[in-house]
Amino acid sequence: MGRGGYFERYLRVDLGRPSAEHVPLEEATRRAVVGGVGLGALLLTRETPPRFDPLGPEAALVLAFGPLVGTPLTTSAKLAFVAKSPLTGRISDGLSSSSFAIAGKRAGLDAIVIVGEAAEPSIVLVDEEGAEVVPCPDLWGRDVSISEASARLREAYPEHRFAVIGVAGERLVRYAGIANEGRHAGRGGLGAVLGAKRVKAIGVRGSRPVPLADAEATLRIAKDLARRSLGPATEKYRSLGTVANLSTFNRLAALPTRNFQASTFEEARRIEGEALHDTRERGRGSCKSCTIGCEHFFEVRPGERPVKMEYENLFALGPLCGIGDPEVVLRASSACDELGIDTISAGGTIAFAMECAERGLLPAGPLAEEARDLRFGAGERMLVLLEDIARRRTALGDLLAEGSRRAAERLGGEAPSFAPHVKGLEIPGYEPRALQTMALGFAVGTRGADHNRSGAYEADFSGKVNRFEASEESAAHAVAAEDRAAVMDALILCKFLRRALEDFFGESAEMLRAVTGLPFETEELARAAGRITLVRRLFNEREGWTPAEDTLPARFFEEKLPGGAAKGAGIDREGFARSIKAYHARRGLDERGFVPAEVARDMASLIGGKNR
Amino acid sequence: MVTIELYGVARLRARREAIEVAARSLGEALAALGAACPTLEPLIVAGGRLAPGWLVALNGAQITADLETPLGDGDVVVLVSADAGG
Repeated sequence: MGRGGYFERYLRVDLGRPSAEHVPLEEATRRAVVGGVGLGALLLTRETPPRFDPLGPEAALVLAFGPLVGTPLTTSAKLAFVAKSPLTGRISDGLSSSSFAIAGKRAGLDAIVIVGEAAEPSIVLVDEEGAEVVPCPDLWGRDVSISEASARLREAYPEHRFAVIGVAGERLVRYAGIANEGRHAGRGGLGAVLGAKRVKAIGVRGSRPVPLADAEATLRIAKDLARRSLGPATEKYRSLGTVANLSTFNRLAALPTRNFQASTFEEARRIEGEALHDTRERGRGSCKSCTIGCEHFFEVRPGERPVKMEYENLFALGPLCGIGDPEVVLRASSACDELGIDTISAGGTIAFAMECAERGLLPAGPLAEEARDLRFGAGERMLVLLEDIARRRTALGDLLAEGSRRAAERLGGEAPSFAPHVKGLEIPGYEPRALQTMALGFAVGTRGADHNRSGAYEADFSGKVNRFEASEESAAHAVAAEDRAAVMDALILCKFLRRALEDFFGESAEMLRAVTGLPFETEELARAAGRITLVRRLFNEREGWTPAEDTLPARFFEEKLPGGAAKGAGIDREGFARSIKAYHARRGLDERGFVPAEVARDMASLIGGKNR
Repeated sequence: MVTIELYGVARLRARREAIEVAARSLGEALAALGAACPTLEPLIVAGGRLAPGWLVALNGAQITADLETPLGDGDVVVLVSADAGG
């Protein structure tokens, strides 16, 4: 039996020289972190010096593939973009999907690492031979949309698949994303990392088949998984999509509203998933190699192109900003996608600004003048503000392009107490006071407030914990949720499959054995999950993490929820601190949350690089 | 009477938002729901039990799957998917 799943090398592109070289990827590394986010975190640490500027030439952007991409396994066409976030100063990784991931892998690569800074605005073209840096003066600084830039690149280079930044990435908006084929690596400002390197797009082209160690077993597993992907475990995603969350969360008083001042929204009925489905749904779509098809497209107005909508976009640009007009929310989501900004951070930062404006906290001068009509529910004002942010073209837009944490620090006073972030990353659509195991997951997350790297809300929705209390039991659930996410994001498979896997670690190990031929065992994979979290934590420690960062904004400890089924719920500060300590203990960290020295020493030989 | 509220896939399948049933426990309420809305059987409720991946929030608050949970007149059973991924 041969080995498969990996090409055992990555491509290192230095934009400054420019040059490209293939670097071997040893088996010990592959076994230790599998691929995807694990490989990305390790290579990011290896390829950068301590305390580097995320927008400087020493910064690295890693595109890490998993061992399963390019195989027949459903939902496997994915990659991870990994970098130090200019929004948080900590590690950030964003997953994206579709043909770009397959083409990149089939260039014979397990990862691409981009360092340096191009002499002029450029695109990077990667193929099986290496990489080329090509100037793109007609795409940069011309205010072209993501769709238009992508279309022009496809026409010029029909054999390549492209990941592109929008105008927000060019202008270094700290929550600019990277887009490919309608998918987005949205969180943490990875688009600004690419923008700082003066790279408008990365094109990948490849035709090398991904080797399968045991093709027969892989096909058998793929068929079985595809069958299960069409069963009840994924019906929500197929029939309604993630927008189904909104009505349920509103009923459970877990729907962040008006910058987390409430957790129910009186206009929820206008924008809930069921209503959008009945009145506006115009089609479904899916990523390449996916049998689920979770994408749902909704009509804005007759004759206009339907807009893809997800729960996070819906909550952030709707209730969080007090907006219940479905047309405005759909337009706002589409604008974010075309400008290249993260919808959650955009909505969170604008909601924060709305509250500041209503409280009169913006200083006299241009900021107060521009915010005079900024109020919760001001939908048309929000649409203009999104454009201002992406282009940094007004004083308010420029301030909010920095994200809610920096904006709050600049405004001072009481503003930081209600800026809706953890570690600088705006909080997704899960109200922490109503879902307190999720609150713990947010606080300890290495990426910041994050519903994709910690699915701890599953415990809150399980009936196994009191959702209004973070306890030591919550810590066990938070660790388990992180571990499952780490493995799915290392393989990489879509999390919407997770309920279709009956024995998560066992089945994951079986897939890896079939594809790679390496003797991955269930226990080994469980250890890899923990190791991936430790690699991320070590990166953060190197970049200046302190235990004080593992917390929530003061609002969640000091203000009770005002109504609905969670009326009166708040987070007890001391109890929450105990749950964090319990998390540290379960994660194998010291009492303050640092990776113990002896563990760090062992990991240093695995990580290697310039700094250890 | 007990009100059972339906959201998401359950609402789509049942083609209604809520139903009133006479029940003294969660198990009785679910059995009545399945009888009144056969399109929910067996993928959401199955013979008076919750199918995997489904739970209830009693009066929208605590989430449970305990069929012995006592219900009283005016209680609201919120039927929710345990899959809250977004």
